[in-house]
Amino acid sequence: MTKPAITVKHVSKSVADRELLHDISFVIDQESLVSLIGPNGAGKSTLVNIMLGLDDQYTGTVTVADGQRIHYIPQQIVTHRQQLPLNVHEYLSVGVTPLYSGTRVTRDFATELGHVGMDSTVLQQPLASLSGGERQRVAIARALLTEPTILVLDEPLAAVDFSSRTGLYELIRHLQKDHGMTVVLVSHDTESVLSISDKVLCLNVSLHSDCHPAQLESAAGTVVQTMHHHC
Amino acid sequence: MELLTYTFVQYAFVGGIALAVVAGLLGPFVVQSQQSIASDMFAHVALAGIGAALLVGVSPWWGALPALLMVSTLVWWLLNSELYSADAIAMFFLSGGLALALAFIHIARDTAFSIESYLFGSILTLTSSDLVAILMAALLVVSSVTLLWYPLIGATQNPPHVVPGKRTPQLILLLYFLILAIVVWVGIKTIGGLLIGALLVIPVLIVRAHVRSFKGLATGSIGAAITAVVCGLLISLFFDIPPSSLIIGVLILLFIVQVVYRKLSTRV
Repeated sequence: MTKPAITVKHVSKSVADRELLHDISFVIDQESLVSLIGPNGAGKSTLVNIMLGLDDQYTGTVTVADGQRIHYIPQQIVTHRQQLPLNVHEYLSVGVTPLYSGTRVTRDFATELGHVGMDSTVLQQPLASLSGGERQRVAIARALLTEPTILVLDEPLAAVDFSSRTGLYELIRHLQKDHGMTVVLVSHDTESVLSISDKVLCLNVSLHSDCHPAQLESAAGTVVQTMHHHC
Repeated sequence: MELLTYTFVQYAFVGGIALAVVAGLLGPFVVQSQQSIASDMFAHVALAGIGAALLVGVSPWWGALPALLMVSTLVWWLLNSELYSADAIAMFFLSGGLALALAFIHIARDTAFSIESYLFGSILTLTSSDLVAILMAALLVVSSVTLLWYPLIGATQNPPHVVPGKRTPQLILLLYFLILAIVVWVGIKTIGGLLIGALLVIPVLIVRAHVRSFKGLATGSIGAAITAVVCGLLISLFFDIPPSSLIIGVLILLFIVQVVYRKLSTRV
C-alpha cells in the first residue's frame, strides 16, 4: 500500500481575471517519480510554488505528509555571464547552512559528489566554469546533502546539451530509487521524462491527464502526439 | 610625512580603512543582488534623516541612522510584496529622500550646516567620538557578515536561494538591507553619500575577473578598497583636492589598469 507524499485537492489560482490553474487534484505517492509536463504558460511553475509553500494565494488544499523534507532545485543555476565567482564548495555550503537546510548536515561534500558521478577536484572550481550538465549534478549533490524525502526539480535539463540529457535522467531515476526519495520532475522535455516516470501529470491550466506513461502512450498512438494533443 | 603625526590625519586613515573593510566586504553581495543603486537610494534617504535631525536639533549624522534603518525595512517589505519593481522602489526613495531633505534643511535655516560635507564626505574632520561610532559600526557589520556568510550569499543570489515552506532567505535579505544601511551611514560621514556606492561596487568590478571564489572576491575587494582609501588620503595631504574624489579616482584608475592588463594578457 503506497502512502501519499503530496496531496493536491481542487487547487485553483487566478491573477487579474486570468485563470492560471483550474481545479487541480492529484496525489503523489511516496518513493515515486512523477513528471509534471506541459507547454510554456501551462501553470507548471505556479503549481510548484504552491506545492513548495512559496505561494499562498490560491484556493483548494495542498497537504505534504508529516515528516517529509522537501528540497527544491530551481531552473536557473548560475548561467548568466554577470554572475560573480562562486566555487562548488561555496555553492554546496549555501545549501547545507543550518539556517537553510533546517538540519545539521553530516555528510561530506566529496562523498555526495561521488554519488552524482563527480569527484572532489571540482570543489575549488568556479561553478560557472562547469558545463550545464555538471552544474545540475552539483545541484543534485547539494540536495542529497540535506537528505530530502521529496526532491522537486524545475526543468532540470534546460541548460544541458542534448547528449548529456539521457545520462542525467538515468542518474535522477537511479538516485530516486537508491535513496527512496519522492521526485517531482517539472519538464517540457516530454519524450525523455516519460521513460523514467512512474506517473505523468499533463498540465495546461487544468490537469489533462494523471496516469502511468504506458497508459498515456497506448491511449493515443505515439507519446509525443499524445502530449501535443493533450497539452 | 610630518602630516601623518596629526591626530585628524590619523583619524582619517583609521576611519577610512574601517570604511574600506566594510564596503569591500559587503560589495560582492551588493553587486550579486543586482541592486547596486540601493546604496545611492539609502544615501538620499539619509539626507532626509539629516534634515529631520536639523529640525529637531539633534546631531545630523545620528539623525540619519533611524531614517536609514526604517527605510531599509520598508524597502525590504515593498520588495517582498512583489507589487513594485526594484528600480521603481529605488527611484521612489531616491527622489523622495532628496525632496524631503531639501524641504527640511530649508525650514531648519541652520546657517552653520553644510550639506556638502554629507554629500561628499568629511573624512579629515572626524572626531574621536565619530571614530568610535564608525569602528563600532564596522565591527557590527564585519561580525554579522562573517556569521551569516553563506546565508547572505544564498539570499542575495539572483534568483535567491529557495527554502520550501520557509521565509528564511527573505529574513536574511532584511538583515542584508539593515547592514547595507549601516555601511551607507558610515559612508556619509567619511567618503560622502553620493560616493559610497562607488566604494561598494568598483572594487568588485576590479577584482571579479581575477578570482575563482566568492571569498576571494570579498578579500580582493577589501584589498582594492583599502588601497584606494590609503592612496587617496596620502595624495590629498599633498594636493588641495578633496580626499573623496581622490579615493574614487584611484579606484577608477585601478579598474582601467586591470582592464588593460587583462586585455594584454589574453592577447599574449
